[in-house]
Amino acid sequence: MSGFFASEVMRSALLPAILIAVTASSISVMVLAHRLSFLTVGVSHATLAGLGLAVTFSLPLLPTASATAVAVALLLAPMLWKRGLNEDAATGVLFAGAMALGIVLISRANRYEVDLFGLLFGNILIVSDADRHWLILAAGIIMLCFLWGARGWWSIAFDAPAAAASGLPVTFYRMLLYAVTGLTVVMCVKLAGIVLTTGLLVLPAACAWFWGKGLGWLWLLSLLFSVTGTLIGLMISYAEDWPSGATVVLTLCMMFLISWGGAQLVQNRTSRNHST
Amino acid sequence: MTSPVLEVSHVCIDSPTGLILDDINLTVEAGHFMGIIGPNGAGKSTLLSVIAGMTSADRGTVSMSGEVLQRGNRQRLLKNINLLSQMHDDGPRLPLTVRQIVGMGLADYVSPLWRRPAKGGEIMKALELLDMTDIADRDFRLLSGGQKQRVRIARALVSSPRLLLLDEPSAALDTQAQDRLYHLLRRLCDENGVAIIMVEHDIAAITSYVDSVACLNKRIHHHAIRGERIPEHIWQAMYGSHTHIVAHDANCIGCIQGKAP
Repeated sequence: MSGFFASEVMRSALLPAILIAVTASSISVMVLAHRLSFLTVGVSHATLAGLGLAVTFSLPLLPTASATAVAVALLLAPMLWKRGLNEDAATGVLFAGAMALGIVLISRANRYEVDLFGLLFGNILIVSDADRHWLILAAGIIMLCFLWGARGWWSIAFDAPAAAASGLPVTFYRMLLYAVTGLTVVMCVKLAGIVLTTGLLVLPAACAWFWGKGLGWLWLLSLLFSVTGTLIGLMISYAEDWPSGATVVLTLCMMFLISWGGAQLVQNRTSRNHST
Repeated sequence: MTSPVLEVSHVCIDSPTGLILDDINLTVEAGHFMGIIGPNGAGKSTLLSVIAGMTSADRGTVSMSGEVLQRGNRQRLLKNINLLSQMHDDGPRLPLTVRQIVGMGLADYVSPLWRRPAKGGEIMKALELLDMTDIADRDFRLLSGGQKQRVRIARALVSSPRLLLLDEPSAALDTQAQDRLYHLLRRLCDENGVAIIMVEHDIAAITSYVDSVACLNKRIHHHAIRGERIPEHIWQAMYGSHTHIVAHDANCIGCIQGKAP
């Protein structure tokens, strides 16, 4: 444990990792409530295309990837919710198309410019000052939007027609949620990579879903699970020399299983008490 | 003279396959309880959606308290109405208590998280109206279909709307609960001056409670007030030639008196 905190690499990774844990867990509540996990898969793969564009046109990596992710999220989501296009089909198109575009663009770039392994599986241990500033800015924007819009998003997830009929600008709220989810995806790619990002955006709220009653509790529990899972995951990754992103996602998966098992136990005990 | 709560004027909705709504005209005063009946695909839910500002009319206008509903005043005017849409069981199963769901219907619910949540007084009043105070802290996901529907109705009532739009509210309710609901809606009209438009399939069930019935099948074929008979050709235009309507009480709207078996 003391070795973990003594390591300069781990100490410098802590702030970005916690920022990602906090933002991802907050947005994960809405990802589950609005069933957006397909969107996070599609957008995380579109990040590769964004990075390819950044490398090709010598643009800053993370801001370009963010702009691409937000644009893709804004384009994809309304297509799905207005015309009822099959989610699997749309995600498949994005999944394959964006990956293919990214691979073609990156293959033409100098191979030292892009850490492909880090992109695919995440690398929170190498964070430049520019990346750190970008992460802080993005986390600030996401959390501000979340705190402002959470109740509206929650109300729409429960009953969108009633929310619209009471005057809530549902389309605006939805577009904001998709944009914010896109931005969060890019943050998560830094920690968990394109392949594992959906885990960070689903697992925290999934763990909390068994216990939370209402938005406030669900959010707080989701935060707790996410920050705890991220810290434990980073410590295990340091101790065992495992890839950090994958270890964090594995830890969150374990927490989900424990949370689910605990909820089952409580439910069984409650029904046994009622029957006696 | 005060303006009617709702005025629908010459509203038309087009679709590539033809008109969905054709020249709809309706006026609803405060305290008026209107039933809308019609076959499947008649445009009943679409009409509610136009009134609720969720679908724009291709032609015609919707006015509330004398103001035509448009982009600039939409948010303000819609604060006075509430919609209970048809119940579907395919939504996400959010972990919420009954109390929290009813609270969602309050006008100031959608405030930022840094503001304190609304006070519980109105929530308990709405739950009392539906006899549901004893399950205020129960998990909504564990309720029966009928209980869920009553919670949704309490949510629609909690903000004391001036106009209430109900799309088949009695679905999933047993006969007793249906009667209690219609009785409550009638009371809201009489005592609180709430105007109600309710889409239902079963005219016989609502006829003792509503003030008028609009027969809709893309256009309004007939608008019957209490005590008025709906001519047989109207029924046939809406439902087909084999329709046979019978009276079930003296106040029945639209029924053919004296033909009960």
